Amino acid sequence: MLENAFEFVMATPLLLALIKILIIFGVLSGIVAYLVYMERKVLAFMQARLGPMRVGPWGLLQPVADGLKLLLKEDIIPAGADEWLFLLAPAISVFAAFTVFAVIPFAGNFYVTDINIGLLFILAISSLGIYGIILGGWASNSHYPLLGALRSSAQLVSYEVAGGMALVGVLLLSGSLSMVDIVERQSGAGVWYVFLQPVAFLIYVIAAVAETNRNPFDLPEAESELTAGFHTEYSGFRFALYFMAEYTNMVVVSCIAVTLFLGGWLRPFASVSALDFLKFAPIVAFLGAAIFIVWLGLKSLVTLERYFFVVLAAACVGLAVLVAYPAILNAIQGVFWFSAKVLVFLYAFIWYRATFPRYRYDQLMSIGWRVMIPLALANLIVTAVLRYFWLAHHAATAVAVLGRQ
Amino acid sequence: MRLSRLGGNDRDRSAEGFWPQGERRPYGQITGWKPVLRIRQVTMDWKDFFRKIFLIDLIKGLRLTFSYQRPDAIYTEQYPLERPPVAERYRGAPRLNNHPESGETLCIACNLCSIACPENLIVVGWARTEDRKKRLTTFTYDLSRCMFCGLCEDACPVDALELTQDFEIANYTREGMIWDRQALEEGPQPARYTR
Repeated sequence: MLENAFEFVMATPLLLALIKILIIFGVLSGIVAYLVYMERKVLAFMQARLGPMRVGPWGLLQPVADGLKLLLKEDIIPAGADEWLFLLAPAISVFAAFTVFAVIPFAGNFYVTDINIGLLFILAISSLGIYGIILGGWASNSHYPLLGALRSSAQLVSYEVAGGMALVGVLLLSGSLSMVDIVERQSGAGVWYVFLQPVAFLIYVIAAVAETNRNPFDLPEAESELTAGFHTEYSGFRFALYFMAEYTNMVVVSCIAVTLFLGGWLRPFASVSALDFLKFAPIVAFLGAAIFIVWLGLKSLVTLERYFFVVLAAACVGLAVLVAYPAILNAIQGVFWFSAKVLVFLYAFIWYRATFPRYRYDQLMSIGWRVMIPLALANLIVTAVLRYFWLAHHAATAVAVLGRQ
Repeated sequence: MRLSRLGGNDRDRSAEGFWPQGERRPYGQITGWKPVLRIRQVTMDWKDFFRKIFLIDLIKGLRLTFSYQRPDAIYTEQYPLERPPVAERYRGAPRLNNHPESGETLCIACNLCSIACPENLIVVGWARTEDRKKRLTTFTYDLSRCMFCGLCEDACPVDALELTQDFEIANYTREGMIWDRQALEEGPQPARYTR
């Protein structure tokens, strides 16, 4: 019975895709909620504070409380607002942010779909997401949102050019727009593209920070000047949608950077068999998490919380034992390395926010147009030329080899 | 670049010979105005250039913020769970001391604290015993008027009245701020949370 159902699902691509979508959507929503928690915690630690501590042990239930609060809040539509656009705008943002995950390969065998224009699809959809911000700012019929939206459109247009051109450098090397293919080419070449395209990587990281409106480029929502920027007039769950879209976008750009530059689901040095012991990293990671949780729990001042941390640590140890089975260990390799890399990226986003002060608007534009775009262009040209000669060299060798036969 | 004499400090000017040495700066006069043009030269050597393209300064900043994630760097006190150590000389909630063994009050009802108090907020009630000795009956202390000057505890000849380090003396009513003898002997009873 169960096997029949499993076979039926595997044989029906639509159903299989639907199940994958549900899994990805569910996990991603949770990740986005806890990304906010992680941001508050990491920011707090970097500022010698503790961050949320009151809701649940170490504030672990804070995202749930925040979500409930936003759901229960009054949904205000300003009197002069364009009602339909006002309602539509946050939906566009969230839609664009989540749709991108359709083509992101989380592992060699776990993706919703692999289309041959994958990267183009991502760029197109994430550019659509800007409409959410612009329309939201416009429809609010208020000064601050309008200014925020204007800034945001100018900023995103400027940085999309640089970021896009940085990605073209990778495309020249991979010769494919499919996300799965790009990772497989890296696997075949035996080297991550970050080592071949370091400049492009740097440009993409900077452009990614600017495109997600994060510090130090968070001018569209500069609190000191624009209150909250484009979402000043939004409240309740519509505000939560914008918030969710912003954090989902962070995950999106991290996923793109990891896939294109850092070898996607490949483990570090995938071609070096001497480092095969790295495949036990998931076990070590879970055990490390357990130790960390116990250490954290011992510092807790509330007895009940200490019990909770012990249970949590036990769960981590249980997971470690579970992934120690060779079949499961091999199955989760891809997802583990992919999420580990994405997590590092997300941490870096928060890290930047804790470190860098916000740029002035003219500085932002000057960096975008006078540094980033010329640099991206130069990188593109150099890559193209090198690639051309490299290809010509290989073609000549191939011809020579064929001619000898 | 500075064009006017309305800025910078006086030492600057004397160094430039702007104002004659030893002469007072003429307030509100514009005589002797002379523009000073100073342009800081901006040059960039190779070292600065490499600092810039390898984002050295940004990385330094990142390293600093990263290093603050040590648990011992956390400055926050979780107040109801952790209570801050208060300085010994801090003057907080008043207390009427009892004898540690017999449990009887140390107060001899001499009324000196009441006399010393600048706010007249202490009322000492006493009764004479049969052998004409003064004996404390009531003692009220109006905390809402107290400025914690500590003159009462200085005046006390037997160290019966003392301002302790307890600082949690907030109250919902004005009446609650007037402490009777029992409250003074027990001290404030804030909610304690499990540690």
